[in-house]
Amino acid sequence: MNRFATIFRKEVTDTIRDRRTLFMMIVFPLLLVPALMIVVTNMQMSSMKKAEEKVLRVALVSHANAPGLVAALKARTDLRIAEGIPADSMEAMIACDSIDAGVVVAGDFDDAVAGMKSGTITLFYKSSDDFDMVKRRLSGVLNSYEKQIVAGRFAKLNIDAGIVNPVTLEEHDVASMKEKIGKTVGGMIPYLFVLFCFMGAMYPAIDLAAGEKERGTMETLLTAPVSRIQILLGKFAVVVLTGLLSAAVSILGIFLAVRQLSKIPPEVLSAVMTILDVKTVFLVLSLLLPLAVFFAAFLLSMSIYAKSYKEAQSMISPLTIVVILPAIIGMFPGIALDEVTAVIPVLNVVLATKEIIAGTIKTWLLLEVYASLLVLAGLSLFGCSRWFQREETIFRGV
Amino acid sequence: MIVVDRITKTFSVSRQQRREMGPDFKGSRIDAVREISFTCRPGRIFTLLGPNGAGKTTMLRMIATMLKPTGGKISVAGFDTVDQPVEVRKRIGFLTGSTGLYDRLTPDEMIKYYADLYGMDAQTYGRRKEEIYGLLGINEFAGRRIGKLSSGMKQKVSLARTIIHNPDVVVFDEPTSALDVVTSRAIIQLIKRCREENKTVIFSTHRMGEVSLLSDDLAVIHRGKLIFNGAYAEFEKQMQTRSVEDEFVRLVEAD
Repeated sequence: MNRFATIFRKEVTDTIRDRRTLFMMIVFPLLLVPALMIVVTNMQMSSMKKAEEKVLRVALVSHANAPGLVAALKARTDLRIAEGIPADSMEAMIACDSIDAGVVVAGDFDDAVAGMKSGTITLFYKSSDDFDMVKRRLSGVLNSYEKQIVAGRFAKLNIDAGIVNPVTLEEHDVASMKEKIGKTVGGMIPYLFVLFCFMGAMYPAIDLAAGEKERGTMETLLTAPVSRIQILLGKFAVVVLTGLLSAAVSILGIFLAVRQLSKIPPEVLSAVMTILDVKTVFLVLSLLLPLAVFFAAFLLSMSIYAKSYKEAQSMISPLTIVVILPAIIGMFPGIALDEVTAVIPVLNVVLATKEIIAGTIKTWLLLEVYASLLVLAGLSLFGCSRWFQREETIFRGV
Repeated sequence: MIVVDRITKTFSVSRQQRREMGPDFKGSRIDAVREISFTCRPGRIFTLLGPNGAGKTTMLRMIATMLKPTGGKISVAGFDTVDQPVEVRKRIGFLTGSTGLYDRLTPDEMIKYYADLYGMDAQTYGRRKEEIYGLLGINEFAGRRIGKLSSGMKQKVSLARTIIHNPDVVVFDEPTSALDVVTSRAIIQLIKRCREENKTVIFSTHRMGEVSLLSDDLAVIHRGKLIFNGAYAEFEKQMQTRSVEDEFVRLVEAD
């Protein structure tokens, strides 16, 4: 135990002096991720605002029909109406950005409307532009115009407008704000901390095994009166710790980013803050611990096998995808925690975390997740210790 | 004392290694050391001489308990390397030419780390550290990060690490390879000092100058087999050529 503590202390000192590890463990999740979140969100909000406020250039061909619509369009200060552009050149003009949209009222529109039939108005737009804002803004004007016509028809026929709305739907959403956030944004939080748990553990694992082999310090360490299992556990504990710390720092980073975002409604912000209560954080960390053990055992096994730091890096880096994939699947709508998903590594943590954040986790499913994670952690640690005992592994390339 | 009794070490050969060895190599295992026996005595320097790939490092790694022999027995300071590896490790110091150090630690931290692993108490460590630091002149850079030290300074830290626990047996695996003349000399002086302190010293080399300078006993190893084992004086007496180097080449070519 004493020697395990000696190895652990030394590895901690060595690791916290490694700039790469510090960057991946603290700087990246704590500063870069929130900075990226804030910058991206603010940029998105600002461009959305710009798209909303932009004066749209709209070509109008009315064929002297729909005077109400023409008047409504011309009355809008956020639209610049151009008449006299032929209808058949609108597509080309939108494509080359000469206009933003085109409205063509059919020649028989007024006759059709007067005859209680449906008149045609064609709207030309490019949906890939500015969050589909052009369509949304013009649809607003067109819908109001349609409502005017409908109201006129009802009045003419002396019919109550309620006749076409036989059902009045009153919606009562019983999901709390916390639950809604848990089910939607909740998927993003475990995705980030699972990823950072893996990435935070990656560099120490490479440095403490493959790095030691490459530097020639592993050979010396093996001649010290310490069992290989003590050496492994000392290194392993540091890798688990860095993975956990990195995940915890990433949660803190998200928290700080959310606080900095000025446009978040206060009720959403207050729900986000309740997510970070002691019980939720404890439950999430308790899920993360066996996952960090699995990551550490897995990463150390790969790193011990590698001949050099570089080889370990090239073996391990692509595996980030293997971790990201189930984490992304966990964000898909319709994928929920059940008896099957509770035993799929990484995915089970992501789904269970979503449920914990939403406050809807079922105890027996949580226990199944714990059981599967503990079995996985135990097996991976056992495998790693066996792997570390093998001469062929430890002296590969040394 | 080190007693090596009919030691054999076989390694399994991977597919990639088989490819590297060419079409002439058949089978899935290779004998790195075959039926080797010798004894290293306290107060004497035992030299293991052989060309690259002869099995010297494998032999020394088995003595230092890093590798387990496939057959035979090795006893170090009275302890069996397979049954009592921790007892053996307590009593040996191990240094190779490629021995690395932790660049992000200071010499003080590095040496204290090993002292703790060897279970040294604070008083013994303090006394021993003072003695070794004085001997090697480490005090002036003891608090600087190892990564910032010159290669000569680093080698001194390696030496201090090797002998901090005052081992009975010291194993040097090509300790001067890739070192400059000045640093090599420091190591040679340390090897001699270990002999004066009645330690058992075994070192491997392919530098002939070091063989004649240091050896009390000599074993020549080639393709995993011993082709000479005896006192260095005896080796010199039976030489059929004019220099140690020529004699070594003659023995290897005759094998």
